[in-house]
Amino acid sequence: MSAEVKGPQELGSEVGGRLLCTLCGACVGMCPYRVAYRGRIVVLDECNLSEGRCYAFCPRAPVDLDQVSQVVFGVPYAADELGTLQEIVIARARDGAIRFKGQYGGTVSALMSFALREGFIDSAVLTSSDERLLPSGTVVRDEAGVLACAGSNFVASPTLATFNREAATDAQRIGVVATPCQALALAKMRVSALEDGNNIDKLKLVVGLFCTWALRYEEFVEFLGERVQLEQITRVDIPPPPANVFEVYTDFCRVPIPLDEVRRFIRPTCDFCIDLTAELADVSVGSAEGVEGWNTLIIRSGAGKELVEAAGAGGAIETAPLAKENLEHLKEAALLKKKRALRNIVDTSGNTGNLLYLKLSGEALERLLA
Amino acid sequence: MGNEAIARGALEAGVGFAAAYPGTPSSEVIGTLAEVARDGEIYAEWSVNEKVAMETAAAASFAGVRAIVAMKQNGLNVASDFLMTLNLTGTKAGLVLAACDDPSALSSTNEQDSRPFAKWADLPLLEPATFQEAKDMTRWAFELSEEIKNVCLVRTVTRVSHARGDVLLGERTPPSKGARFVSTSPVEFASIPAPLKHHLMRQKLDKAREMYESSPFNWYVGPERPELLMVTSGACWFYSLEAVKALGVEDRVGILKLGTTWPLPEKLVQEHLARTERVLVVEEVAPFLEGNLKELVGENVAALGPLTFYGKRSGHVPDSGELNPDAVIRALSSVLGVEKAGVAPEYAQKAQELTGAHTHMRAIGFCAGCPHRATFWSLKNALKLDGREGFVTGDIGCYTMALGPTGFFQLKTVQAMGSGVGLACGFGKLAQAGLEQPTVAVCGDSTFFHAAIPALINGVYNRSNFTLVILDNQATAMTGFQPHPGTGMTAMGEAVPAVDIEGLCRSLGIRVEVTDPFDLEETTQKLLDLMRDDGAVRVLISRRTCALVRAREEKAAYEVHVDTEKCLGDNCGCARLCTRVFQCPGIIWDTETGTAKIDEVICSGCGVCADICPASAIIREAA
Repeated sequence: MSAEVKGPQELGSEVGGRLLCTLCGACVGMCPYRVAYRGRIVVLDECNLSEGRCYAFCPRAPVDLDQVSQVVFGVPYAADELGTLQEIVIARARDGAIRFKGQYGGTVSALMSFALREGFIDSAVLTSSDERLLPSGTVVRDEAGVLACAGSNFVASPTLATFNREAATDAQRIGVVATPCQALALAKMRVSALEDGNNIDKLKLVVGLFCTWALRYEEFVEFLGERVQLEQITRVDIPPPPANVFEVYTDFCRVPIPLDEVRRFIRPTCDFCIDLTAELADVSVGSAEGVEGWNTLIIRSGAGKELVEAAGAGGAIETAPLAKENLEHLKEAALLKKKRALRNIVDTSGNTGNLLYLKLSGEALERLLA
Repeated sequence: MGNEAIARGALEAGVGFAAAYPGTPSSEVIGTLAEVARDGEIYAEWSVNEKVAMETAAAASFAGVRAIVAMKQNGLNVASDFLMTLNLTGTKAGLVLAACDDPSALSSTNEQDSRPFAKWADLPLLEPATFQEAKDMTRWAFELSEEIKNVCLVRTVTRVSHARGDVLLGERTPPSKGARFVSTSPVEFASIPAPLKHHLMRQKLDKAREMYESSPFNWYVGPERPELLMVTSGACWFYSLEAVKALGVEDRVGILKLGTTWPLPEKLVQEHLARTERVLVVEEVAPFLEGNLKELVGENVAALGPLTFYGKRSGHVPDSGELNPDAVIRALSSVLGVEKAGVAPEYAQKAQELTGAHTHMRAIGFCAGCPHRATFWSLKNALKLDGREGFVTGDIGCYTMALGPTGFFQLKTVQAMGSGVGLACGFGKLAQAGLEQPTVAVCGDSTFFHAAIPALINGVYNRSNFTLVILDNQATAMTGFQPHPGTGMTAMGEAVPAVDIEGLCRSLGIRVEVTDPFDLEETTQKLLDLMRDDGAVRVLISRRTCALVRAREEKAAYEVHVDTEKCLGDNCGCARLCTRVFQCPGIIWDTETGTAKIDEVICSGCGVCADICPASAIIREAA
């Protein structure tokens, strides 16, 4: 059964009011009432509609996981550690320049460049930051554009606002690099009864990113600005455990900041997120534990498999098997995030029958919490 | 119009000098005199505020030129500091103060009865009840003023100042041309020594009282010994007359209409009080006459015997708001115990249904094309984006309506002229008390010159933290588009250098920006930037000519229409933003097409709505 769609007032009270907002941007870019501004969703005026796309698309408004899984993969929600997948490998860009600019193995940048070049998509919605680390969605159409957006920044970005706007133009084939919550929102768009006119059919590719959490912009940047000249930052990185450090690179040096000091800027909603590996994307990409310079690549959908195979054959990426113990570690990490989130959800709601925004079978819940 | 009658009265008295600050319902007094000033060889000016206006008129009086100054009740408050020393000083040539009150605050931020000022200031007071009296009293007021050598107050209300009636004119008198300032004693034109001058002032009042006893402005209609005596003044005279007629009690009720209400013509009043046992006082707004009558009775109880008073104190007459025939009929009916033969209920219902269908529910709002709507739209957005729960302190002008939906409820405070900036000075110093919200003050260009400048300087001097947005629409619009120092034109139509608001603000050493309110994006950006620039006072001048003023000089900039194919209307993505939120009266809802539509009659062609439409369905084309 599908979740009931409500409107902007309820979005404010059920999501905003409960600090569940992920700043994915799905509720923005479709109307004059909601905008994303400096790390916040701002409501400029009251919309009086009782049903709206903002509520329908929000990944923290009620979501029927089986329903979204059906529409993306044609099967019910896997309710296991890593979600529906066909294959999981490690991968990296063949092009050294892409590897240099990209994150870990540069796989995302390589796949997006390839997809644009070969016509799988004609525009890509990525995320880039300004000189004060403020991230936002960017539409790119070639490799240069892709590389300009390369690299993680760990700050929540309302990138789907840009997707919404791009989908309303005459673009026909759009690809998005999405965090797990953004991938979920895109899946909700495909399900939504209000999708008439939201042009979701133009979405041809979702490359998901592994994500543990995202940071709140204003406070984090203020904190960072006290330690580093923001304009001099060239990249940031969080190396895999056990490093426990937030690395900031400038033109002149590397500034390591204890990760524990950064954790207090995590968006509250991340404690309620069950998805480490972007389960609703066509492919999902993250770091490869213990394999420097490579990514972990999860191939999920038919479209994802087609792209990866073509990219491999076309020389854009190379892949290799994922070591069994690395796979186990990944599953552990993913399951840990699920358990932690579900426990937080149940603690907040007060009973296992109310998972706040999630519709998950009781059996699946029991299994995950075990 | 009543105000025109007052102006005429002044001309017939040979007035030579007229000054005022626009204020409803007083504006037409000086407005009319300014129109005839050149031909009539008199001088008329719009002063920056009522205190200065009063001062300029006093100068004329000191130099032997008859002068008139007009103001609304709030203006009297502003002028009061000078008035309370001028009364001790005394005047030379006749000086008349036309005090025009606004009961029910139809166009004011307070409801105030100005008559107690006369008692407080020991000055004679006259209240015209008819348009003829408005003229005749004003003319006579100059004589009275010269007789006692002090200011004379003529007090009207909206229904006298702004209503119209037939007036028999007298002869105009040319103004004096022998102006000369001669001070014959060290303190002739000073208010000190105050106790001595005070005593002399009270003697002047006694003289006025004597003259009042035989004034033709007081009259009585009714039986020799009325069962009930109504005592009334001003516009309430007509209401009282109507009430007595409506209830058919002419044989039982007498009406004493007083035109000279302070000081009371005590002998005359006592004569009438002696012939009855019951008194109903009908006046607006305060129980001024009522209180004074009771004082008089208190002093003469032995002679007058016990009297029962009805009025505001007894609850028969409403204690607030303006009066009307129905209210007075109700009061009279309840005092006499006479049922009023009213309108049949079914008829009343039918009338309501018929008329109700033809009038739309509509709140007061900015005109189509008003730059304030655009400024407040940007301000609303900027405050939301800023995200620190900033707020706006407001002031007096058309933009006061931003308390309501037309200005997106942006204004959070409104009191007196310049108070928005004054309050902002205070809010801007509360950081140490924990206030983290940005303060934005707004004031109009005329308000700026009237009262905001000292408050702005206070903010700069005391390093207060706020942003002032000056809404410069190049007019004193709300009161009738009168010119002011920033418009480059005087009351008498003379072109003069405009005072440069931007330069004046810059001279304070603060950050000053200018923006065009019709450029929504730039205005929003500048506001955001200024609000973030904490620490001191900064000013944004949002400048664009008032839509109605501009319409007289230029034709519309754009032709605007709605592309019904593109209009999203009720759907997600719009939800009637233009008609429901933006609410420009030039945009209406077409129930047939289910889309917005431009009302060609009302639309002023400003084109701003084209920028807010989320579907780009509002099309503007250069006209």
